[in-house]
Amino acid sequence: MSIETSHKSSLDANLVNAVVASTMHVMSTIASTEVQCKEVKAQTDYKPCGDISAIINITGHNGEGMLALSFPVQLASIIVSRLIGITPDKLSVEDRCDGVGELVNMISGNTKSKLSEQNNTLYTLSLPTIIQGPKHHVSTRPKNNPYLLMLFEAEGQTFNLQVSFKTF
Amino acid sequence: MKILSVDDSGIMRKIIRGAVDRLGYDFIEAADGQEGLEVLNVHVNEVALILLDWNMPVKDGYETLLEIKKNPVTQHIPVMMVTTEAEKANVIKAIQAGAKNYVSKPFQQEDLIVKMMETLGLGVS
Repeated sequence: MSIETSHKSSLDANLVNAVVASTMHVMSTIASTEVQCKEVKAQTDYKPCGDISAIINITGHNGEGMLALSFPVQLASIIVSRLIGITPDKLSVEDRCDGVGELVNMISGNTKSKLSEQNNTLYTLSLPTIIQGPKHHVSTRPKNNPYLLMLFEAEGQTFNLQVSFKTF
Repeated sequence: MKILSVDDSGIMRKIIRGAVDRLGYDFIEAADGQEGLEVLNVHVNEVALILLDWNMPVKDGYETLLEIKKNPVTQHIPVMMVTTEAEKANVIKAIQAGAKNYVSKPFQQEDLIVKMMETLGLGVS
Protein backbone atom coordinates (compact mmCIF):
# COMPACT_ATOMS: atom_id res chain seq x y z
CA MET A 1 0.00 0.00 0.00
CA SER A 2 1.38 3.44 -0.84
CA ILE A 3 0.38 6.62 0.97
CA GLU A 4 0.75 9.92 -0.85
CA THR A 5 0.63 13.02 1.36
CA SER A 6 1.11 15.96 -0.97
CA HIS A 7 -1.80 17.99 0.49
CA LYS A 8 -1.96 19.44 3.95
CA SER A 9 -4.99 18.17 5.81
CA SER A 10 -6.27 17.23 9.22
CA LEU A 11 -6.49 13.63 8.08
CA ASP A 12 -4.08 11.52 10.02
CA ALA A 13 -2.77 8.00 10.24
CA ASN A 14 -5.28 7.05 12.94
CA LEU A 15 -8.17 7.86 10.60
CA VAL A 16 -6.59 5.99 7.69
CA ASN A 17 -5.93 2.95 9.86
CA ALA A 18 -9.48 3.05 11.30
CA VAL A 19 -11.10 3.22 7.85
CA VAL A 20 -8.88 0.54 6.31
CA ALA A 21 -9.34 -1.85 9.25
CA SER A 22 -13.11 -1.25 9.31
CA THR A 23 -13.45 -1.85 5.56
CA MET A 24 -11.53 -5.12 5.71
CA HIS A 25 -13.46 -6.25 8.80
CA VAL A 26 -16.89 -5.49 7.32
CA MET A 27 -16.15 -7.11 3.96
CA SER A 28 -14.71 -10.28 5.44
CA THR A 29 -17.22 -10.71 8.28
CA ILE A 30 -20.55 -10.19 6.57
CA ALA A 31 -19.72 -10.52 2.85
CA SER A 32 -17.04 -13.26 3.02
CA THR A 33 -14.88 -11.10 0.78
CA GLU A 34 -11.19 -10.49 1.37
CA VAL A 35 -10.06 -7.02 0.32
CA GLN A 36 -6.67 -5.35 0.11
CA CYS A 37 -5.93 -1.66 0.41
CA LYS A 38 -3.72 -0.85 -2.57
CA GLU A 39 -3.26 2.90 -2.29
CA VAL A 40 -4.13 5.95 -0.18
CA LYS A 41 -3.67 9.42 -1.61
CA ALA A 42 -4.75 12.94 -0.75
CA GLN A 43 -6.95 15.07 -3.00
CA THR A 44 -8.83 18.31 -2.66
CA ASP A 45 -12.45 17.52 -3.49
CA TYR A 46 -14.91 14.67 -3.79
CA LYS A 47 -14.39 12.93 -7.11
CA PRO A 48 -16.69 9.97 -7.59
CA CYS A 49 -15.22 7.14 -9.61
CA GLY A 50 -17.66 4.25 -9.77
CA ASP A 51 -21.14 3.28 -10.95
CA ILE A 52 -22.78 3.22 -7.54
CA SER A 53 -21.88 5.29 -4.48
CA ALA A 54 -23.11 5.48 -0.90
CA ILE A 55 -22.34 8.51 1.24
CA ILE A 56 -22.65 8.99 4.97
CA ASN A 57 -21.86 11.93 7.23
CA ILE A 58 -20.18 11.72 10.64
CA THR A 59 -20.56 14.52 13.18
CA GLY A 60 -19.22 15.02 16.67
CA HIS A 61 -18.59 17.93 19.01
CA ASN A 62 -14.91 18.15 17.95
CA GLY A 63 -15.16 17.32 14.27
CA GLU A 64 -17.21 16.30 11.24
CA GLY A 65 -16.67 14.47 8.01
CA MET A 66 -18.00 12.06 5.47
CA LEU A 67 -17.29 8.71 3.89
CA ALA A 68 -18.19 7.86 0.30
CA LEU A 69 -17.97 4.27 -0.91
CA SER A 70 -17.98 3.70 -4.68
CA PHE A 71 -18.13 0.45 -6.63
CA PRO A 72 -18.20 -0.61 -10.25
CA VAL A 73 -21.66 -2.14 -10.67
CA GLN A 74 -20.36 -5.66 -11.34
CA LEU A 75 -18.31 -5.77 -8.13
CA ALA A 76 -21.19 -4.28 -6.12
CA SER A 77 -23.43 -7.08 -7.39
CA ILE A 78 -20.92 -9.78 -6.43
CA ILE A 79 -20.38 -8.47 -2.90
CA VAL A 80 -24.00 -7.57 -2.09
CA SER A 81 -25.32 -10.89 -3.41
CA ARG A 82 -23.03 -12.65 -0.91
CA LEU A 83 -24.74 -10.79 1.94
CA ILE A 84 -27.94 -12.68 1.26
CA GLY A 85 -26.54 -15.87 -0.25
CA ILE A 86 -27.77 -15.54 -3.82
CA THR A 87 -26.00 -15.34 -7.18
CA PRO A 88 -25.28 -11.85 -8.61
CA ASP A 89 -27.70 -12.35 -11.53
CA LYS A 90 -30.60 -12.81 -9.07
CA LEU A 91 -29.86 -9.53 -7.26
CA SER A 92 -32.37 -6.72 -7.81
CA VAL A 93 -31.27 -3.13 -8.46
CA GLU A 94 -33.04 -2.09 -5.25
CA ASP A 95 -31.16 -4.67 -3.18
CA ARG A 96 -27.86 -3.73 -4.81
CA CYS A 97 -28.34 -0.07 -3.87
CA ASP A 98 -29.57 -0.95 -0.38
CA GLY A 99 -26.62 -3.31 0.13
CA VAL A 100 -24.02 -0.71 -0.81
CA GLY A 101 -25.75 1.68 1.60
CA GLU A 102 -25.57 -0.89 4.38
CA LEU A 103 -21.88 -1.54 3.67
CA VAL A 104 -21.01 2.15 4.03
CA ASN A 105 -23.17 2.25 7.17
CA MET A 106 -21.22 -0.60 8.76
CA ILE A 107 -17.81 0.74 7.66
CA SER A 108 -18.70 4.18 9.02
CA GLY A 109 -20.06 2.71 12.25
CA ASN A 110 -16.91 0.70 12.86
CA THR A 111 -14.73 3.68 11.98
CA LYS A 112 -16.59 5.99 14.34
CA SER A 113 -16.30 3.45 17.17
CA LYS A 114 -12.54 3.41 16.70
CA LEU A 115 -12.41 7.23 16.53
CA SER A 116 -14.62 7.50 19.62
CA GLU A 117 -12.18 5.32 21.58
CA GLN A 118 -9.19 7.33 20.36
CA ASN A 119 -10.74 10.77 20.90
CA ASN A 120 -12.92 9.90 23.91
CA THR A 121 -15.96 11.44 22.27
CA LEU A 122 -19.19 10.20 20.67
CA TYR A 123 -19.95 10.72 16.99
CA THR A 124 -23.26 10.52 15.17
CA LEU A 125 -23.90 9.00 11.74
CA SER A 126 -26.39 10.25 9.18
CA LEU A 127 -28.48 7.81 7.19
CA PRO A 128 -26.71 6.76 3.97
CA THR A 129 -27.46 8.37 0.60
CA ILE A 130 -27.07 6.12 -2.44
CA ILE A 131 -26.42 7.31 -5.98
CA GLN A 132 -26.37 5.05 -9.01
CA GLY A 133 -25.33 5.80 -12.58
CA PRO A 134 -22.07 6.01 -14.52
CA LYS A 135 -20.11 9.28 -14.16
CA HIS A 136 -22.44 10.59 -11.47
CA HIS A 137 -21.25 13.61 -9.54
CA VAL A 138 -21.99 14.73 -6.00
CA SER A 139 -21.53 18.36 -4.99
CA THR A 140 -20.28 18.81 -1.45
CA ARG A 141 -19.70 21.81 0.77
CA PRO A 142 -17.41 23.35 1.73
CA LYS A 143 -15.48 23.12 -1.53
CA ASN A 144 -11.79 22.26 -1.54
CA ASN A 145 -12.02 20.16 1.60
CA PRO A 146 -9.09 17.79 1.87
CA TYR A 147 -10.05 14.21 1.05
CA LEU A 148 -8.31 10.90 1.20
CA LEU A 149 -8.90 8.52 -1.68
CA MET A 150 -8.43 4.90 -0.66
CA LEU A 151 -8.27 2.28 -3.37
CA PHE A 152 -9.17 -1.30 -2.46
CA GLU A 153 -9.01 -4.47 -4.48
CA ALA A 154 -11.45 -7.37 -4.27
CA GLU A 155 -12.19 -10.17 -6.73
CA GLY A 156 -9.64 -8.66 -9.13
CA GLN A 157 -11.56 -5.37 -9.31
CA THR A 158 -11.08 -2.00 -7.64
CA PHE A 159 -13.46 -0.05 -5.43
CA ASN A 160 -12.76 3.11 -3.51
CA LEU A 161 -13.52 5.00 -0.35
CA GLN A 162 -13.21 8.76 -0.15
CA VAL A 163 -12.94 10.17 3.34
CA SER A 164 -12.97 13.67 4.69
CA PHE A 165 -12.72 14.53 8.38
CA LYS A 166 -12.15 17.96 9.80
CA THR A 167 -11.54 18.70 13.49
CA PHE A 168 -12.81 21.96 14.97
CA MET B 1 -43.94 -17.55 17.69
CA LYS B 2 -42.50 -14.61 15.76
CA ILE B 3 -39.34 -12.52 15.77
CA LEU B 4 -39.78 -8.88 14.72
CA SER B 5 -36.86 -7.20 12.91
CA VAL B 6 -36.96 -3.40 12.76
CA ASP B 7 -34.27 -2.08 10.39
CA ASP B 8 -34.39 0.54 7.64
CA SER B 9 -32.15 -1.57 5.39
CA GLY B 10 -34.08 -4.12 3.34
CA ILE B 11 -30.91 -6.12 2.68
CA MET B 12 -30.15 -6.26 6.44
CA ARG B 13 -33.68 -7.52 7.11
CA LYS B 14 -33.05 -10.28 4.53
CA ILE B 15 -29.77 -11.20 6.28
CA ILE B 16 -31.57 -11.33 9.64
CA ARG B 17 -34.45 -13.28 8.13
CA GLY B 18 -31.97 -16.02 7.14
CA ALA B 19 -30.91 -16.38 10.78
CA VAL B 20 -34.49 -16.29 12.09
CA ASP B 21 -35.52 -19.00 9.59
CA ARG B 22 -32.66 -21.20 10.79
CA LEU B 23 -33.87 -20.74 14.36
CA GLY B 24 -37.34 -21.92 13.35
CA TYR B 25 -39.29 -18.76 14.23
CA ASP B 26 -41.64 -16.84 11.96
CA PHE B 27 -40.21 -13.58 10.69
CA ILE B 28 -42.01 -10.22 10.67
CA GLU B 29 -40.43 -6.89 9.81
CA ALA B 30 -40.65 -3.11 9.78
CA ALA B 31 -38.53 -0.40 8.16
CA ASP B 32 -38.48 2.16 10.99
CA GLY B 33 -39.33 2.46 14.66
CA GLN B 34 -42.82 3.85 14.14
CA GLU B 35 -43.74 1.07 11.73
CA GLY B 36 -42.17 -1.38 14.16
CA LEU B 37 -44.48 -0.25 16.96
CA GLU B 38 -47.48 -0.60 14.64
CA VAL B 39 -46.47 -4.12 13.58
CA LEU B 40 -45.82 -5.01 17.22
CA ASN B 41 -49.26 -3.75 18.17
CA VAL B 42 -50.87 -6.12 15.65
CA HIS B 43 -48.79 -9.17 16.67
CA VAL B 44 -48.14 -8.38 20.32
CA ASN B 45 -49.23 -11.78 21.66
CA GLU B 46 -47.08 -13.69 19.18
CA VAL B 47 -43.78 -11.79 19.33
CA ALA B 48 -41.04 -13.63 21.23
CA LEU B 49 -38.19 -11.24 20.43
CA ILE B 50 -37.67 -7.80 18.91
CA LEU B 51 -34.47 -6.97 16.98
CA LEU B 52 -33.90 -3.22 16.79
CA ASP B 53 -31.53 -1.21 14.61
CA TRP B 54 -30.48 2.13 16.13
CA ASN B 55 -30.14 4.63 13.25
CA MET B 56 -33.45 4.73 11.39
CA PRO B 57 -35.67 7.41 9.87
CA VAL B 58 -38.98 8.52 11.44
CA LYS B 59 -38.28 6.98 14.87
CA ASP B 60 -34.85 5.62 15.80
CA GLY B 61 -34.21 2.39 17.65
CA TYR B 62 -33.45 3.97 21.00
CA GLU B 63 -36.73 5.94 21.06
CA THR B 64 -38.54 2.80 19.97
CA LEU B 65 -36.91 0.81 22.77
CA LEU B 66 -38.07 3.41 25.31
CA GLU B 67 -41.64 3.20 24.04
CA ILE B 68 -41.66 -0.61 24.08
CA LYS B 69 -40.39 -0.65 27.67
CA LYS B 70 -42.80 2.08 28.77
CA ASN B 71 -45.87 0.24 27.48
CA PRO B 72 -47.19 -2.36 30.00
CA VAL B 73 -48.48 -4.48 27.11
CA THR B 74 -45.07 -4.79 25.39
CA GLN B 75 -42.47 -4.24 28.12
CA HIS B 76 -42.06 -7.96 28.83
CA ILE B 77 -40.91 -8.74 25.28
CA PRO B 78 -37.11 -9.06 25.11
CA VAL B 79 -35.35 -6.57 22.84
CA MET B 80 -31.95 -7.08 21.23
CA MET B 81 -30.21 -4.15 19.57
CA VAL B 82 -28.64 -5.05 16.19
CA THR B 83 -26.71 -1.98 15.18
CA THR B 84 -23.48 -0.34 14.05
CA GLU B 85 -23.57 1.73 17.27
CA ALA B 86 -20.82 -0.27 18.97
CA GLU B 87 -19.47 2.31 21.44
CA LYS B 88 -19.60 1.18 25.05
CA ALA B 89 -21.56 4.30 26.03
CA ASN B 90 -24.34 3.38 23.60
CA VAL B 91 -24.36 -0.27 24.68
CA ILE B 92 -24.76 0.83 28.32
CA LYS B 93 -27.44 3.36 27.36
CA ALA B 94 -29.49 0.68 25.58
CA ILE B 95 -29.08 -1.89 28.36
CA GLN B 96 -30.10 0.69 30.96
CA ALA B 97 -33.19 1.47 28.85
CA GLY B 98 -34.19 -2.20 28.93
CA ALA B 99 -32.46 -3.91 26.02
CA LYS B 100 -31.63 -7.49 26.96
CA ASN B 101 -28.79 -8.02 24.48
CA TYR B 102 -26.68 -6.20 21.92
CA VAL B 103 -25.14 -7.26 18.59
CA SER B 104 -22.76 -5.04 16.63
CA LYS B 105 -22.85 -5.01 12.84
CA PRO B 106 -21.15 -6.61 11.00
CA PHE B 107 -21.86 -10.06 12.40
CA GLN B 108 -21.67 -13.62 11.15
CA GLN B 109 -25.02 -15.39 10.91
CA GLU B 110 -23.99 -18.01 13.47
CA ASP B 111 -23.14 -15.31 16.01
CA LEU B 112 -26.52 -13.66 15.51
CA ILE B 113 -28.27 -17.00 16.03
CA VAL B 114 -26.34 -17.62 19.26
CA LYS B 115 -27.21 -14.14 20.55
CA MET B 116 -30.89 -14.64 19.70
CA MET B 117 -30.87 -18.00 21.52
CA GLU B 118 -29.27 -16.38 24.57
CA THR B 119 -31.84 -13.62 24.56
CA LEU B 120 -34.72 -16.06 24.17
CA GLY B 121 -33.37 -18.14 27.05
CA LEU B 122 -32.76 -21.15 24.82
CA GLY B 123 -29.88 -23.46 25.66
CA VAL B 124 -26.66 -22.72 23.79
CA SER B 125 -24.24 -25.67 23.83
